[in-house]
Amino acid sequence: MVVGSGMATTRLVEGLVARGVAERDQVTVLGDEPHAPYNRILLSAVLEGTHRPEALTLRSPAWYAAHGVELRLGARVLDVDRERREVMLVDGERFGYDVLVLATGSIPSLPPIRGLVRMDGTLHPAVHAFRSLDDCLRLDAAVSPGARAVVVGGGLLGLQVARALAVRGLEVELVEGGEHLLRSQVGPQAGRIIARDLARLGTAVYTGARAVRLTDEGLRLDNGYVLSADLVVLTAGGRPATALARRAGLACRRGILVDDRLTTSDDRVHALGDCVEHDGQVTGFVPPAWEQAQALADHLAGDEVHYPGARTVARLRATDLEVAVLGDPEHEPGEVVEVSNPVVGSHRKLVVRDGVVVAATLVGDLSRIGLITQHYDRRTVLGPTEPGELLMADRPAHPRVLPDDAEACVCAGVTAGAVRACTSLEQVRETTRATTGCGGCAEAVRGLLATRPALSTT
Amino acid sequence: MDTLTHCPYCSLQCGMTLRDGRGAPSSGTGDGRGGRTLEVQPWPEFPVNEGGLCRKGWTATGLRGHRERLTQPLVRDRATGELRAAGWDEALDLVAGRLRDLQVESGPDAVAVFGGGGLTNEKAYALGKFARVALRTSQVDYNGRWCMSSAASAANQAFGLDRGLPFPLADLEQTDVLVLVGSNLAETMPPAARHLDRLRERGGTVVVVDPRRTPTADRADVLLQPVPGTDLALALGVLHLLDAAGAVDTAYVEARTTGFEPVREVTAGWWPERVERVTGVPATELRALATLLAGAERVTVLTARGAEQHAQGTATVLGWIDVALALGMPGRPYAGYGCLTGQGNGQGGREHGQKADQLPGYRMIDDPAARDHVARVWGVDPADLPGAGRSAYELLDALGTPGGPRALLVHGSNIVVSAPHAGHVTARLEALDLLVVCDLVMSETAAIADVVLPVTQWAEETGTMTNLEGRVVLRQQATPPPEGVRSDLEVLAGLAERLGSPVPFSTDPEEVFAELGRASAGGRADYSGISYDRIREEHGVFWPCPVGSAGTPRMFTESFAHADGRARFVAVDHVGTAEPTDAAYPLHLTTGRVLAQYQSGAQTRRVRDLPDTGPFVELHPMLAARLGAVDGEPVVVTTRRGELKAPARVVTTIRPDTVFVPFHWVGANRLTNDALDPSSRMPEFKVCAAAVRT
Repeated sequence: MVVGSGMATTRLVEGLVARGVAERDQVTVLGDEPHAPYNRILLSAVLEGTHRPEALTLRSPAWYAAHGVELRLGARVLDVDRERREVMLVDGERFGYDVLVLATGSIPSLPPIRGLVRMDGTLHPAVHAFRSLDDCLRLDAAVSPGARAVVVGGGLLGLQVARALAVRGLEVELVEGGEHLLRSQVGPQAGRIIARDLARLGTAVYTGARAVRLTDEGLRLDNGYVLSADLVVLTAGGRPATALARRAGLACRRGILVDDRLTTSDDRVHALGDCVEHDGQVTGFVPPAWEQAQALADHLAGDEVHYPGARTVARLRATDLEVAVLGDPEHEPGEVVEVSNPVVGSHRKLVVRDGVVVAATLVGDLSRIGLITQHYDRRTVLGPTEPGELLMADRPAHPRVLPDDAEACVCAGVTAGAVRACTSLEQVRETTRATTGCGGCAEAVRGLLATRPALSTT
Repeated sequence: MDTLTHCPYCSLQCGMTLRDGRGAPSSGTGDGRGGRTLEVQPWPEFPVNEGGLCRKGWTATGLRGHRERLTQPLVRDRATGELRAAGWDEALDLVAGRLRDLQVESGPDAVAVFGGGGLTNEKAYALGKFARVALRTSQVDYNGRWCMSSAASAANQAFGLDRGLPFPLADLEQTDVLVLVGSNLAETMPPAARHLDRLRERGGTVVVVDPRRTPTADRADVLLQPVPGTDLALALGVLHLLDAAGAVDTAYVEARTTGFEPVREVTAGWWPERVERVTGVPATELRALATLLAGAERVTVLTARGAEQHAQGTATVLGWIDVALALGMPGRPYAGYGCLTGQGNGQGGREHGQKADQLPGYRMIDDPAARDHVARVWGVDPADLPGAGRSAYELLDALGTPGGPRALLVHGSNIVVSAPHAGHVTARLEALDLLVVCDLVMSETAAIADVVLPVTQWAEETGTMTNLEGRVVLRQQATPPPEGVRSDLEVLAGLAERLGSPVPFSTDPEEVFAELGRASAGGRADYSGISYDRIREEHGVFWPCPVGSAGTPRMFTESFAHADGRARFVAVDHVGTAEPTDAAYPLHLTTGRVLAQYQSGAQTRRVRDLPDTGPFVELHPMLAARLGAVDGEPVVVTTRRGELKAPARVVTTIRPDTVFVPFHWVGANRLTNDALDPSSRMPEFKVCAAAVRT
């Protein structure tokens, strides 16, 4: 029995199917959203218009049926009765379980802004959350070019939504209560460079400013500004959805507490994904949730597992904004190698401990991201000069003069000297066969012929 | 006198003219050790290479009259342990006698046969028939398993048929975007590169996917440099973006394919940043590639060994075929998917029955109708044909073990150099009761054999090859073989007779080809309408070519080879390499070829005019600095299986987390991993975990 049908669950069910557990035991998935399990992290791309909403589905109901997994959509769980080992839905339906997995995800935090919620308890019609596909579709329907939007929250999601709305032709402003953007991930210098990039792209950024009140005039900030807004999108963070677990008496701190086998304080109850806290860590990213799903699938299949904790890579997905954050570069202890160039809008920082890149910030220039991420994920022990070189651009290759004994044509094995001994391309072809194989040396041969030393006529 | 023929090496099978230096007609008296010269000249009319050759082709006659050429059978003397010269009758009697004894003692499968992708169609066919009819063993396979078997397996699943390129090579010039996944054709088959250049002159775009910036990448417009073993994740990422952007050709998918939906669901989980983390290819580069493909009218995707030689090689090829199908390309003019086959007859070699599970005509050995047909052509009872045997690596791994083969006949393969986990395989070869090797020179494998039989080489015999396009070409004899040398067909016929084969074996290639045609008739690879005369007249004939057919240069234009005429999307997911890096072995090792050498180098290393550098280790300056390695100085590469000491080559063209070693010399394959692809049984040659020290 799995509560929640988000990305962690999808991965878990795939794992259970692959390991034959779904054949052995009855697996049931209860999802409160009405949609088939979809890829949540692509929602900002849907909003931006670069990803078709139909292409979000991770596994169709037909796939679940084909593998004997019961998928119940629109099924909201009210409570878990651990004594009777039952899950109860809001409509009163009950399901028994032998093993329960909680994958309840996270819920968006509502910032303390007066006027967000109306007297009847509903959200102000201009206000949007951005967590689910329904949120995304509702916001998408409200978008019209030229409209004014304010995004509340300068984290990864806020930046992605701000860029998506700007790409759609809206006038976008962004409000962040902290002193700089992406404050949970990067330092002030990087945050400022991102803010400048956003401003360059036409989005005004207000940092160190809290939105306090939503009125008909717009959104009022604590610095006195009033931002007129047709749309207000709240992206100010989320927190683990622990209410169900708490009511069921499971141990929770920030998230539902789990051990290295993803087991909660009750042996029969496991939890994974955004709702859990493992070794003091709450992640909120897909890759660790998927690693947990693999580990839990192994565990449920009867294998010995030990989930080592996550190595996170937070990657901004927004057109024309390049940001990657590996681990926790602001708090991870280690030596810092840093190159910042506000002139071109790049900031790169590696945190290195015992030769290993343990955290990094890359803003603006992600040309080496592929390599740096590999080193980080594989815990490669680097040499002392390597972190510095990783932050430098590749040196341009120098064109050099080929000595006479160097090979000019590899196919035919012809030296530069042999080419220089010829007077024309035709002669080169006839006598040496250079350029007739793959043809790759044609340019070099022409160059050698052009720079032949002139015969002395004196 | 001039003889039109084809190069002895790769799957391009470049046309060439062999000119007898004396101009005298072949008299059959030449001793092959001087006296007459054989000179390579262009054959400009042959369309694949238009007279161009690489240096391997120009120097191909370098083994004529070579002092290391074997010209008499050798038998290991029991007293001294040394090989000594023997007569043919003595050697063949000895071999046949021992084979019979071993089979009486341990059953028919006590004898195994190992072939090669360099053998002519006639030899490959005769070898498979010899195994099944004369030896009645199921234990026959060949080194093509280590070449393009993953592409073959994938193409069979997706299209219902496997022909490397389903169109002539020159069609590449007319495509708009060409994606080369794991191919370094500018070095491995240089004359093919002319088609890339012409494509680019026309305004087309060439994309190369390779962990190294190869000479091929140098002349491409776009290079993606993924971590070795992650090409599948890249394909999934491309398809993710195509689907997201609505660039999937839904009309084509609807009309000509089945199975798209499950593929789409897998790719929905491969967003660009996840692909970036797995492959090391920046998300921006992936997006640029998807945009390029989405906007192109004609896209051709070609895979080669870089994509295929993996424990998930078949899945990787399927992933790229899925991309081509989603774009609606296979079967359209100047577009689609193809595999760049490696060995000279890698294509024909897999069609005529030297594969453990196949009979001639690309028929499956467990298909009763196929057994009936082939048994009738052979004149034997179908019930007497053995079933499927072990695949190449599994066969070698079983040698000399309880229940495994006790004797092995090797034709056209240098296993000691080319097998993965080669130290282990060599130990298995040494554990045999009898190892018989047919070769031209004392290869590393011949050197440990009990009996070595000297056989003819390319210019000394006639036979057909099927090149990477599925074009059947004719290699014609240009000169008589040296005295004392016999053709493989003669060796097989001689052994069959001594073994009391129920049917005789022909030694005339044209006769064997006609029989092959009859055996293949009605099969997927139907050669029955092809004759030597037609090949001469038409610059080769493309299969399938039943009697009366003009041949088939372009396939799938109307329908695919599955019963319903549709192509299959196959849902595959990236799972990663068999041996991930760790603290002890932190680097990726990949292997490949250099221009001047071919395969195990048994031939090319002995050609004086080809530079023989020996193995080397390519590594990036950043890695070199970390290790203290210096260009030209030796470094030691170790894996869980072996060790290699070779000079470092410090180059900026390779990923800093990867090292490269060419495999033409003993050593590289002592390092490689023997993890196998579940469907093609291809070993994971192209990536394993390694450590390097100075």
